[in-house]
Amino acid sequence: MRLQTIKNKLLGLVVPILLLVAWDFVTRRELFSAQLLPPPKMLFETWWDMQTSGELALNMKISLLRVAAGFSLGALLGFSTGVAMGTWKTVDNYLGPLFNGMRQVPVVGWLPFLVLWLGIGETFKIAFISLGALVPMALKTYEGIAAVSPSFLEVARVFEFGRFRQLTRIVLPSALPSILVGLRLSLSEAWMLVVGAELVAASAGIGNTMTVARRLFQTDVVLVSVIVIALTGFVMDKLLGQIEGQFLTWRKTFDPR
Amino acid sequence: MEEDVPLKPEEEGMEKQGTLRVNNLNKHFRSSSQDVKVLDDINLTVQPGEFISIVGQSGCGKTTFLRLVVGLESNYQGEILLDDKRLNGPDLKRGVVFQDHRLLPWLTVEKNVGLGLKNARNEETRRSVQEHIELVGLKGYEKHYPHQLSGGMSQRAAIARALVNRPKILMLDEPLGALDALTRMYMHQELERIWKQEGITMIMVTHDVDEAIFLSDRIVIMSSRPGTIKKIIPVKLARPRDRAGADFLRIKEEVLKEFHLHTETPFSYSI
Amino acid sequence: MNIALQLAGFIRRRYHGVITFLVLIGVWTALTHLRVVSAEQLPAPEVIVTTFLQNLKSGLLGDSLLSSLVRIAKGFCIGCSLGFLLGAAMGVSQTAERLFAPLTNALRQVPIIGWIPLIIVWCGIADLSKIAFIAIGAFFPMVFNTFEGIRSVPRNYLEVARVFQFGRLKLLRKIVVPGALPSIVTGIRLSLGTSWMLVVWSEINTRSDLGIGDMLWSAREGGRMDLVIVCIIVIGVVAFLINELLGHLEAYLQGWKKTYR
Repeated sequence: MRLQTIKNKLLGLVVPILLLVAWDFVTRRELFSAQLLPPPKMLFETWWDMQTSGELALNMKISLLRVAAGFSLGALLGFSTGVAMGTWKTVDNYLGPLFNGMRQVPVVGWLPFLVLWLGIGETFKIAFISLGALVPMALKTYEGIAAVSPSFLEVARVFEFGRFRQLTRIVLPSALPSILVGLRLSLSEAWMLVVGAELVAASAGIGNTMTVARRLFQTDVVLVSVIVIALTGFVMDKLLGQIEGQFLTWRKTFDPR
Repeated sequence: MEEDVPLKPEEEGMEKQGTLRVNNLNKHFRSSSQDVKVLDDINLTVQPGEFISIVGQSGCGKTTFLRLVVGLESNYQGEILLDDKRLNGPDLKRGVVFQDHRLLPWLTVEKNVGLGLKNARNEETRRSVQEHIELVGLKGYEKHYPHQLSGGMSQRAAIARALVNRPKILMLDEPLGALDALTRMYMHQELERIWKQEGITMIMVTHDVDEAIFLSDRIVIMSSRPGTIKKIIPVKLARPRDRAGADFLRIKEEVLKEFHLHTETPFSYSI
Repeated sequence: MNIALQLAGFIRRRYHGVITFLVLIGVWTALTHLRVVSAEQLPAPEVIVTTFLQNLKSGLLGDSLLSSLVRIAKGFCIGCSLGFLLGAAMGVSQTAERLFAPLTNALRQVPIIGWIPLIIVWCGIADLSKIAFIAIGAFFPMVFNTFEGIRSVPRNYLEVARVFQFGRLKLLRKIVVPGALPSIVTGIRLSLGTSWMLVVWSEINTRSDLGIGDMLWSAREGGRMDLVIVCIIVIGVVAFLINELLGHLEAYLQGWKKTYR
């Protein structure tokens, strides 16, 4: 059986290796200018330069800080909104339509207003990211709470649980899988929006690095940045996935959906 | 409509300890298109410490009746009194074991059993929880999660959870319905043992006639549409009861007759 | 008469939303008329309406919207069909999955917006780059959902096909495609929704040609907040329509899917 798994893994490497070889071939023969398609070796060198000069680390740190701030704020607000709408029918009735209406507009749309009211500094970026992170979190929290099995709610009634106890000991644990999915969606949205915001309102950060490089046609820098962004996103998602696994050991046979 | 069993003189003093009186209970189910009478003039008194089974076919309203007594449904006509006090929603004095055990999947057996206890941290409650876990025969499984238990074990945990609050009466809604036949027979013995040990009033809804005869002091037979009490059959056999015994089979014949059914080997007296 | 009753019922059930909306408009009007907020920061509701009608009549709104929609159509078609093909190939063939999944998953990690600078370098700032960008955005949800849909067809039904000796084509037609269809429609919905968002992003980043995103940004630069709001509303309405229409299609298919499972 292990042989099969090894074979599978190798198969997965076939396409990337083919592409790598083709890439190398094409650049060696200079079928495309180095500006358009930098050779792999150059990519590695550029990455090395960016790494050692500290440029990469600095910009990544700035972007990550923004993500952290925006994500935390957005996820918290989203969670609260979701809980409020899921727990009190009145809130859901009045706030729900408004929320659903506003969330139809892709976060991009709010850029002009945010820029107008908050300028193009840090506040604007963090507000923008929070706005985007808020929505998936609110939706998933709401979904999770709405899906709590009535059977369990009856258990709460039978054991004379008060509103608060019902929320903390039954509703939220039951909604936890959904909430954690919301957290991951929120984070990936935040990560995307950091890059987006930095493309639009230039200042330091990895998005800015890309914009500057683009204007100077430094394709190698842009490519390296793209790879770094992808890797970071992947790592963050994996980490969150690990945390999710820790919390949900009880989930083996229970699926509220 | 049946008369209930008159009080024995020596039991009168104990009346306070979990006597359930149901007087003229009626319940309708109203939807936009129909008005169905689910329960029709139910009268029943359950003495403290009794084991009552309610037997009937699916849809006869026995589960509705049970849910009314537990307090999960309201909106009825008539009276339901526990120790002469009207019901007002669910409370811990009336415990319930559901057919689907409804253990919270994210809590251990321990935490599940202690769910209803107000102060789950102090020594006393912890001891009580442990006692009840052992009572239902789940010693050693305190830290297990529900998904690690079998159906029978989960149901036992649910029973412990209901009992740990020392309710006056315990309602069981087809508690063994989800278990296989062999586990069910084993659970019959367990239920009887627990009942004897705790001395608690139990009202069980079931469609399994053997189960009812094995466990109950009295069997309440409900007919369906509308749900009403057809007959109450006392079961005055010594415990533990022999499923193949003559008396057992006689009572079984009596019960099945009410449903126009017969046992495979009809038993008749010859004097 | 029946319609009036239905409408009355609808209003009775959903009146909360209407109330919130009216309150919002009320507060908004109050804020602007009482000069709590300056007209530059937040234009009054009536101004929005006038601007909307103005731009509608002049054709600017219509043209911009059309340009954007045409872009989406092109990008979406390319991305969606490619995504479908790859997803279907990977779903049907384990070998294909093993070959392409790692690379696809790796590429998927790039937040879509991160592709913009690279695409601009490779494709310039004309229409091509916008369409390429949208195509990429539409590609990934489609691959994933098609793959998921095909893989989620219960094994039991595949065995039925074997027992009745279905040929490959019949298997696909009668069992796999119907089974995967709801997921595929979800993929289309997500793809289209993403496309709409991406067209705005790409227009903002490559300020060339007409487009709703371009209009949005130009309005901002010109300080015309009223026009900005008009654009936002238009963007939101289109996004809503996409979700609603495809959502209903999805729900219709899901309903059947519940019994299918």
